[in-house]
This record gives sequence, C-alpha cells and structure tokens, in this order.
Amino acid sequence: MERNKHVGIGFRKDFAEEFLEGKDLTPAFLEVAPENWMEIGGYWKKVFNKVAEQYPIYSHGLSLSIGSPEELDWNFLKRVKSFLQEYKIKIYSEHLSYSKCDNAHLYDLLPIPFRWDAVKHISERIKSVQEFLERKIAIEIVSYYTPVAAEMSEVEFISSIVKEADCNLLLDVNNVYVNAFNHQYDAKDFIENLPLAKVEYIHMAGHEQVAQDLIIDTHGEPIIDPVYDLFDFTVRKLSNTVPVLLERDFNIPELKELQYELNRLENICKKAWHYEHILA
Amino acid sequence: MNTYLHNYTHTQQGRLANYCRTGELISIDGLTENRVHYYRDLVYNVVDDTLQSAFPLTFDLLSEDEWNEIVHYFFSTHKCRSNSIWKMPHEFYLFVDGNDLDIKKKYNFIEELLLFEWTEIEIYMMPDVQYPEFKSNGGWLSEIITVNPEHKILQLSWPVHLKNPGNITVDNKNEYYVLIFREKESGKVQFINLSVYFAWLIEKIEIEKKPLVKILKEAESLFGIEAKKLFENTIPFLEELNSKQFILGFRK
Repeated sequence: MERNKHVGIGFRKDFAEEFLEGKDLTPAFLEVAPENWMEIGGYWKKVFNKVAEQYPIYSHGLSLSIGSPEELDWNFLKRVKSFLQEYKIKIYSEHLSYSKCDNAHLYDLLPIPFRWDAVKHISERIKSVQEFLERKIAIEIVSYYTPVAAEMSEVEFISSIVKEADCNLLLDVNNVYVNAFNHQYDAKDFIENLPLAKVEYIHMAGHEQVAQDLIIDTHGEPIIDPVYDLFDFTVRKLSNTVPVLLERDFNIPELKELQYELNRLENICKKAWHYEHILA
Repeated sequence: MNTYLHNYTHTQQGRLANYCRTGELISIDGLTENRVHYYRDLVYNVVDDTLQSAFPLTFDLLSEDEWNEIVHYFFSTHKCRSNSIWKMPHEFYLFVDGNDLDIKKKYNFIEELLLFEWTEIEIYMMPDVQYPEFKSNGGWLSEIITVNPEHKILQLSWPVHLKNPGNITVDNKNEYYVLIFREKESGKVQFINLSVYFAWLIEKIEIEKKPLVKILKEAESLFGIEAKKLFENTIPFLEELNSKQFILGFRK
C-alpha cells in the first residue's frame, strides 16, 4: 500500500509491534513525544530506531509547560535539543498551556488565563526557546473546559502570542471544535480569525461528549463528521500544504480503522490542495 | 526570570494547579465551577494510572482506601520533578522511603517492594550501556569473566522477589539478594535470586576483574568454605548465568 502523502499518526507503544510487522497502516510520518522516547534504551530504543529509519519523525512535547509562571527548564530543553538533533526531527511543537506550576509537574494541560501579561510572558518564553533550539516551534491551540480570569478572547490571546513570539501555529481542528462547542462560539469564525499563514502543522482527533454542554478531548474515539467538515473548511483556507496528524491515544482500534481515518483526511487534503494548486 | 507575568495571573494559575494536586479549590476568577473538577479528575487519573501500572504488586497488596490515601498524600504534598511521566514512580518510591507513614508500620516491607518494582522499570528503560568486548569461549578459572553491564543487585531484608507480598510475615525477615538484568537482544528483564556468596562473587567479577581462581581463594577465607567445594558450586551457577545471558563470556 502506498504511503499517505500528508497525513501522519501519533506513534504509540500500543500498536508499535503490529505496525512494524504489518502493512495495514501507512502514514506519511510519525509523531512522538520527546519525553517518552529520549534517554531510553533496550527494547523501545531499538523499536524507535527502527521506525526512525523508515519514517520522518515529528515531535510534540508534553512537559515544556510554556505557560508556567516559573523559569523555563533549561536542562530539559538541552536534552530535547539533543534528541531533536539525533533524530533530525523537523517539527517541534508544544501546547499553549501549562502542565507545571510552582515547580510541580501535573502531567496534563491546564488553561492559561487569557490576559495581556500572560501574552507578554509566554511570548518571551517562546522566543527564548526558539533561540536556544535554533528553530521555530509550533504552539498548539489546546482544548479547555473553563476559562480562568480571562480579560481577552481566546483567538486574540493565541494570535497575539503567535505574532509577538514570531512562532508557528499548530492548529488542532478538533480542539477548535471542542472549544467552540464548550464555550459556544462559531468554530469557522474562530479559524478565519487565526493567523493562518503561520500554521505549520494540523492535528485531528476524536473526542467524547460527557454532558449536554461539554465535550472532553480524549483522543480515544474516531473523528466525527462535523470535525471532518471543519477540517475541510480549514485546509481550504491555508495557502500552503502542511502535515496533518491523526492522534489516537486510547481505545486503539484495529490498524485498518486508523488507516481509514488517515485516508479520509488525505483525500480531503488532496481535493483542497489540488484545487488551490490549479488556482495558483 | 522575566517579570512580565503579574502576581494576579500567577496566583490564578497557582490556585488551579493546586486544586488539581490537592482537590482543594480556592476561589479562581472567571471559572466555570461545575466543570473545573474535570481538570482534577484528568490530572489525578493520569498520576494514579501511572502508579498502578508501575507498582502492580503494591497496588494489589494495599486496600483501595490505603492505595488512594497514599497516592493522594504523595501527589498533594510532593512536587513531581520528572518531565517524563514514566520516571515519576521513582519519586513515589523515594517519597514513601523518606517519609514517616502509617502504611509502613502495617507493611514493613513496602519500601523494598516499591524499590523492587521500580528497579524492573529502571533496568528495562535505562539508556543502553556499552558492552565490553568479549569472546564466548574461555576457561572459567583462569580467564576474566565479562558480565552484562545492564544490571543491578538489590540487597533486601524481605523476600519481595520470591513471595506473594500478601504472604510475607515477620518470620521472613532475612538477608536477600536479587540480580536484575536486561537481556541484550530481547530487552526483557530477568530476576535471579542470589545467595550472599553469589552476590559477593558477581560484584568481585565485575569490579575487580580478577580471574576466578583468585576470587575463589579470597572466598575460601572469607566464607570459611574450602575452595574445592566452592568451585563445584560456582561453575554450574556461572554456566547458568551464561545461558541466561548475564555472563557474556570472557575478556578478549
């Protein structure tokens, strides 16, 4: 089976062996969290080396905690830099959130207050990280379930940081859908107001509705049709082609089912970007 | 550190983070109160799941209340430092080891059980260590034996590696040694129970890099066992370690 051109998948230990042995899943690339794969040895190091020989690797960090009040963890960044260099990883993305506060890791993503001082604080941190890593990073729009002490809109917050930090954007279309549902705004309007020229990477995933008015971003279900529609809308707005990632972290189905999702995303990309190409 | 972030914003962030760690909510501005518990649940479940996976024996040993109490106490009072979540269980072990906890009175071997379970993860995940050059064939007595460098020997007072933890009693308190190592090709972790003599012997082989004949002479006086008997016991054991890929062979 031919590999997808644009669409990759988050590499999980849960399906690593089946993936390497079979041909049911043919992503364009694999994405990993550096925290799970750097500074390890033994079996998983061998597996990682094997997939890194066969696929381009992109990375999506978990614990940089760009939105933390405290100082950046330079020792950690040094180790990340070394990992990115060792495996020639082109994209390093992180969440626009915080997962550490007052020097205690929380291992999940908390919402940053949409405030001007936070914009300035985080932009400076992103600039420092980019300077240290000698590359631009892509920051991801995260899903959130409650605002915290907001004094500006979410889209203004994100756009201001991208502009001030001069970083790239990881546009998680499912997160936009989730946030629009949870906070009752129009997802398409939101996307149109983002700095789309800065989009370097797209994430897609499934979610779970846990209450009449609340969706949780679980990465444990297939993508639903309205999110595919929003994805179609989004990719037609982009002036460049970008890599697209399918995230599936829990409740992993048979690989053929994941391939079906990859193909569906790939077909949307092909149609949208072929059209753009003709126009160009 | 820059000072762009105002104290007010820092305080709001700190309150949310503290709520996720402790479950105690102090007023946060602009919060949707009926949703904030999802953050506490998500954060706590990640930590709890990680610890359950890392310490399955300990999890089975403790009652549900005991487990929940210790995990909650750990996460609400300890500031986790590991960027990689798979390393966080080591902090849990150190936390239990370093604190005066009631649970240690009931299960006086719990620190060793946690250490044993953590060491399996540590050896399984540890960065690759350069193997020494070796040849497969040689003389056990006269040549220098090379061992798999990816290993640890734990000295224990309780047989956490031999018995179901629920069946360990005060009568089991003794001196135990367990060799834990990673097979080169498969990456699997193996455990071998050692007598005090064999634990001593492996350390001698590894650290002093002397031929076995010299080590046996030392053992003769140290353990008060005649060399011939030591030799008869030692060679089959070394052959077994060789078949299990702990002893690699002989120094080139």
